[in-house]
Amino acid sequence: MLYYKAWLETRSRFLTCLTVLALFSAVFTHHAQGFLHPEWKTDFYRLLFIAHEYVIILWILSVVLLGMGGLVREHATGTSSLSLSLPVSRAHLLGVRIAVGIIEAIALGVLPWATIFLVSYTGGMPILFPQVAFYTALLVGGGMAYFALAILVSSLVEGEYTAPAVAIGLVFLATIAFDAWLRRFNLWRLITGSFSVDRTTYLLAGHFPWLAVLASLCAAALMLLASVRIIQRRDF
Amino acid sequence: MIDTHVIRTRDLAKSYGSATAVRDLNLSVGKNRVTAFLGQNGAGKSTTIKMLLGMVRPSGGEALLLGKNIADAKGNCEVRRRVAYVAENKPLYGYMTVEQTVSFASSFYPDWQTDLASHLLNQYKLPSQQKVNTLSKGMRTKLALLLALARRPELLILDEPSEGLDPVGIEQLLSMLVARAADGITIFFSSHQIAEVERIADHVCILDNGRLLVDASLDLLRQSYRRINLSFTSVISERQLRIAGVQKIRTDGRRMSIFASQNADAVIARARDLGVVSVDVARLGLREIFLETVLEN
Repeated sequence: MLYYKAWLETRSRFLTCLTVLALFSAVFTHHAQGFLHPEWKTDFYRLLFIAHEYVIILWILSVVLLGMGGLVREHATGTSSLSLSLPVSRAHLLGVRIAVGIIEAIALGVLPWATIFLVSYTGGMPILFPQVAFYTALLVGGGMAYFALAILVSSLVEGEYTAPAVAIGLVFLATIAFDAWLRRFNLWRLITGSFSVDRTTYLLAGHFPWLAVLASLCAAALMLLASVRIIQRRDF
Repeated sequence: MIDTHVIRTRDLAKSYGSATAVRDLNLSVGKNRVTAFLGQNGAGKSTTIKMLLGMVRPSGGEALLLGKNIADAKGNCEVRRRVAYVAENKPLYGYMTVEQTVSFASSFYPDWQTDLASHLLNQYKLPSQQKVNTLSKGMRTKLALLLALARRPELLILDEPSEGLDPVGIEQLLSMLVARAADGITIFFSSHQIAEVERIADHVCILDNGRLLVDASLDLLRQSYRRINLSFTSVISERQLRIAGVQKIRTDGRRMSIFASQNADAVIARARDLGVVSVDVARLGLREIFLETVLEN
C-alpha cells in the first residue's frame, strides 16, 4: 500500500508531465516533418537533436517535480506523524518513494522518444530505432542523477516552492559550472548526446558512453543514500 | 520477571539548541491502565510521545516502549505495529478518500478489525467516498480515531484526542475509550480537558517545562492532596509550617492557606502546636491540583 500512496501523491504531477512531454514530442516532430523534404535526412536528425535538448529540459523539470514531497514536506503539512507511526522504517518509506519516482522517470524518458518514433514513422520519415534507443538510454541512464538531486533536496528543504526552486537552481549552477571548468564531465552534455553526435549527419555515433552513464548512476546512488541517511537522522 | 509497564523512561531528555523541551524524565506507564498526561502547551508532552515513537531522537536518557529500547530503530519499528498513535493535529493524507485511508491503514496491521472499522464508519457517519481534505475537523478527528481503534493495539497513545470534536463526539470518544480500556488496551493520552481526564483516567502524570511534577493514581491524588486554611491569633512564619508534603503556602496576615500533596494531618498537628484557632481542610479536585502544581513550578 505504500506504493499506492506514493502513486496517489505523484499521480497528477506524473500524468501532467507525461502529457506535456508527449504533446511536445508529437507536435515538434510533426511540425518538423511539415517543412522538410524526405530527402533532407540530415536536417531532420539535426532537428531531432535539438528536440532532444527541449525534451531534456522538460524531463528535468518533471523529475524535479516528481522528486518533491516525502517526509520533510509531510512534516511541513503535518502528516509526517501518520507516516512515521506506521510500522515501517524511514528507509522503507523513502525507498518506496524513490522506486515509484524512478519508474515514473523512466516512463517520462521513454515516452517522448517513443512518440517521436511513432510520429516520424507515420509521417513517412521513419527514424532509426537505434537512434531512439541511444537518446532514451542517455536521458534515462545519465539523467537519473537529476532525480536523485531532487530527492536529496526534498530531504533537506521543506518549502513547497523552495525545494523545487533550489533543485532547479542547482541543476543550472552545476551545468554552467561544469561547462566552464570541467566540460568533459558535464552531465548536461552527456545526456544531450553532445559527446556522441556526428556533426555532419547528426546521428549519434560510436559506442554508448557506458562508463559516463555508470558514473552518473553512481552519483545518483550516492545522493539517494545520503537522502536516506538524512531522513533517518532527522527529527520530525 | 514480567514488566507491568508499557512505557518506562529514565532521565529522558530532549533539547533543541539551548531550549530544553524535556528534562530528566522518569516516567512509568502501567499496563491495562488509562494514564493521562497533563501539561500546559509547550510542557513537553508531544515531544515525549514523539521520542517514544522514534520520531524525535532523545538528547539523553533512555526509554522502553513495550519492552523495546526506543533507540533501537528496528525494535521501535516492530513496536509501532502494536501501538496506535493519534497526533494532536489528527494527520491524514488529504488526497485519499475515507475508504482509501481505511484500506491503506488496514494493510499494515494483521489484527485489523474490519467489523469495528465498519461499525465506527457508520457510527461516525463518515462518507466513504469523500476526500479527506474536504472533511470537517471533527470528521477528520473521528477518522483518525477509527484508524487507531480498529487496529487492535496493545497501547493507544492519543495526543489531545477530543480536540475538534463536538460534545456528542467527545461523549462517544470517552465511551469508546472506556470500552477499549475494559478490553485490555492500555491508553496513554495527553489532554488539556481536566474534566475528561477525571472521568476516564486511572493514573495522572503532570508535566511542566519538560519536568515530571506528578506521577500518581487519580485516587491517590484525591486522597492525599489537601488545601488547609488556617487562622492564627498572631502572625506565624511560613518556615514553621514547611514540612514534607507542603507544596505552597500563601499568607495573608494571620491567615494561611496551605497546598499540601501529603501529610495533611502532620500539618494540622503542627498548626495546633502553633496555636491555630481555626482549621478548614478541603479535598482538591484534579483541576486545582494541576493548577497549583503548575503555578508552583
